Amino acid sequence: MRRLKTIGVLIAAGVLAAACGTSSSSSSSNASGPSGVLTIDNESGGTWTCDFNPFNLSYLPYSLGPVYEPLAFVNTLQSGKATPWLATSWTWGNGNKELTFTIRKGVKFSNGDPLTAADVAFTFNLMKKFPTLDINAVWSVLSSVTQMGSGQVVMTFKTAAVPYFYYIADQVGIVDQAVWSKVANPVTYPDKNPVGTGAFTVNSSTCTPQNIKYLANKHYWQPGEPKVGTVNYPAFLTNDTANTYLANGQAQWGSQFIPSIQKFYVARNPSYHYWFPPVANVSLFINLTNPILKNVAVRQAMAYAINRSQASTIGEYGYEPPSNQAGIVTPTFSSWLDSAQAAAYGNNYAYDPAKAISVLEKAGFKKGSDGIFQTPSGQPLSFTLLNNGGFSDWVAAVQTIQTSLKAVGIQVTPENLAATSYQTDLYTGKYQLGYGSETGGPTPYFELRQWLYSANSAPIGTAAGSNWERYSNPATDALINEYGATTNPATQHSIVDQLQQVMLQDVPVIPVTEEVDWYQYDTSTFTGWVTQGDPYAQPAAYNYPDWGQMLLRLAPVK
Amino acid sequence: MRFVLRRLGFFVVTLWVALTLNFLLPRMMPGNPALAVLGKFKGEVPPQALKVLEAQFGIDSHQSLVSQYGAYLGNVATGKFGVSLTTQPGTSVAQIVLHAIPWTLGLVGITTILAFVLGTGIGIVGAWRRGGRLDSIMPPIFVIMTVIPYFWIGLILILIFGVKLHLLPYFFSYDYTLTPAFTPSFIGNVLEHAILPGFTLLITTIGTWILTMRNTMITTLAEDYVRMARAKGLPGYRIMLDYAARNAILPNLTGFAMSLGFVVGGAILIEEVFNYQGVGYLLLQAVNNEDYPLEQALFLLITAAVLVAILLSDIATAILDPRTRGAK
Repeated sequence: MRRLKTIGVLIAAGVLAAACGTSSSSSSSNASGPSGVLTIDNESGGTWTCDFNPFNLSYLPYSLGPVYEPLAFVNTLQSGKATPWLATSWTWGNGNKELTFTIRKGVKFSNGDPLTAADVAFTFNLMKKFPTLDINAVWSVLSSVTQMGSGQVVMTFKTAAVPYFYYIADQVGIVDQAVWSKVANPVTYPDKNPVGTGAFTVNSSTCTPQNIKYLANKHYWQPGEPKVGTVNYPAFLTNDTANTYLANGQAQWGSQFIPSIQKFYVARNPSYHYWFPPVANVSLFINLTNPILKNVAVRQAMAYAINRSQASTIGEYGYEPPSNQAGIVTPTFSSWLDSAQAAAYGNNYAYDPAKAISVLEKAGFKKGSDGIFQTPSGQPLSFTLLNNGGFSDWVAAVQTIQTSLKAVGIQVTPENLAATSYQTDLYTGKYQLGYGSETGGPTPYFELRQWLYSANSAPIGTAAGSNWERYSNPATDALINEYGATTNPATQHSIVDQLQQVMLQDVPVIPVTEEVDWYQYDTSTFTGWVTQGDPYAQPAAYNYPDWGQMLLRLAPVK
Repeated sequence: MRFVLRRLGFFVVTLWVALTLNFLLPRMMPGNPALAVLGKFKGEVPPQALKVLEAQFGIDSHQSLVSQYGAYLGNVATGKFGVSLTTQPGTSVAQIVLHAIPWTLGLVGITTILAFVLGTGIGIVGAWRRGGRLDSIMPPIFVIMTVIPYFWIGLILILIFGVKLHLLPYFFSYDYTLTPAFTPSFIGNVLEHAILPGFTLLITTIGTWILTMRNTMITTLAEDYVRMARAKGLPGYRIMLDYAARNAILPNLTGFAMSLGFVVGGAILIEEVFNYQGVGYLLLQAVNNEDYPLEQALFLLITAAVLVAILLSDIATAILDPRTRGAK
């Protein structure tokens, strides 16, 4: 036994020595340029194709940020604060229907071509010519994009569309006109050797099905950047393999859901850390076309009855904090929360089963012999709850919802379906209650709009973009449109306050827990990580273009 | 000759049925690939993208099922399987499968052959020296191994040899920092990475071969011609191999042909546990993402491989055992 241990120690020491050997030899060249090998650990669910087309949703996450760069960086974790990237400045004009970008000078693509305003105009007009490249539907609000003078690009809008700044400036990578004008079909173009302005390059010889290797761009336009020499992005087929790899210190930057993270990850090494900043909600969607659920009293009662903190601790290991009915993700967007208003609604619908029962009784519902409330005509308050059976955390959370609703006399039967069936039913409205999440955006407005805007809805049977509960109210639509026309923070806040009132008064959806960015980091070999004290970007490796910002800040430990 | 023709006819009909099922089944599944893609992106994808994706995948174009079927048969005949929709969008399916298949053939194929050879050998010797030391140790151990889920054994091996002892690599099919090349060091690296998954597969599949071989061997050893051979005073090894084993191996051979056919399907759980880039994982991915073209190509490949393997084993059995030739 003793001998075995000694051998183990010897081997471990050997591995350590080998590891030290490689890192020290690579960091010795630190003063002269980028160095160090950073490994990302994010389950991709499949092997890599080594395609990097920035107009294709499947490949964009691996090129936008470090390889292709957008005009500006919009930081969700700082309430949508925009900082210059390829554009040095921008101004809104003509009643917020015109947006002028000044393009940065001295930027070069990795093939040596200089970045010009013409490249920017070309990129956007390419998306107009091929609508399938326009992932964020920016041309639904744009009417033209033209170059002005040598260094500016003017975008004109059909209507005022201020929130679209995020999709236009932060979500579109600028491509080289000289390269892409020769591409016959940009929709199917794989872009194996992307030519971007970014701090890293990648090509078909550095990418294999098992790993994408990004190399520092030695001619990057920001002096002294990047400091990281090589980024490895291995392909993990499952969450478990990725977690094991990360916990064994073979990767430094994790974007993983890890059960019992304290024991499995943090406790292994004092330099292992994690932070899960909340960015959107996981909510109970209520089908408003259902004759019983149409009654606002039923929805309000459910909002009181659901024990959100139980859903958070039991369903999500407490990693995803409980939500509030106003729909504002806290603490990320705390400055947007209208606490005074929320207090008027039972302290933001704080868990209160007695209140739920009294709301139902006041609305004329009576308990049947089985303890379940009934409508005056004798129909029981009994619903099915559509859920994604592939997410074990959601299944557990939904169980707690079932229990807490049962306690007040509302019967819920969970239907945990396979992902595709679940999504089809949720999008097409073939459900009574449904558990799901929106993407959100850099301010709470984006999620509120996804929930409440009638343009995101569709008749039952047709897929709705994001308004799955089918909420429709002209006054709310008007508010949402009004926000689009203003750049004034005070007006924006007042509109979001009114949208919160819609959430509190009408209860079209019930936010239950807050969705987070999964993020782990190892401080022993690299510094410059996003922390709670310095949330300069969304920190998961799958957050684009944010991970490009992180790769500019990260540096090998000297 | 008539026998071979009849088997061939049967083969063609089965292949057609398989082709048709292969066409219909994915289309009967709920959902569509665009929704599957949206679900994949951990909420990073805006809702506006749904329409773009549906247009990209051609979901909004309503082609009749009959004309789709016609086009499908034509494409299969000419080896055109189209491009992947969701797992690796835009990449040709043939290329994706070609990338994955060598890994699976290498890992699963070699272990299947090894398991068959070793298992049959142990079965033969075990039955020959019934009750001997080998016979009382090997068969029980490996039969127990076959009923333990193999991914669990894989996880235990990863824990012991990979995580605790750091003796062997346990993820990936080779060290991903290397550039693939036909050099001794790279091939060595590939082999090193194949040890744990291969060993797991081997020890969990070998038991079946041992058991069937040992049992038929014991029955055969009781036959009169074996007694006759003993009476003639032939050396033991000749009786064991030429008289008993040669006859007893027939059922195992059929089983072996079938498992060779199934090799191209990969070993889904092994590939998952060891993060190994093979066909099994591709198949799972294709089904999860509603990637019809990839699903169809893979199912077709597996069906065809199994059918060919069965056809060959039928013919082989007919040559080895004249009695089967008259069978209807």
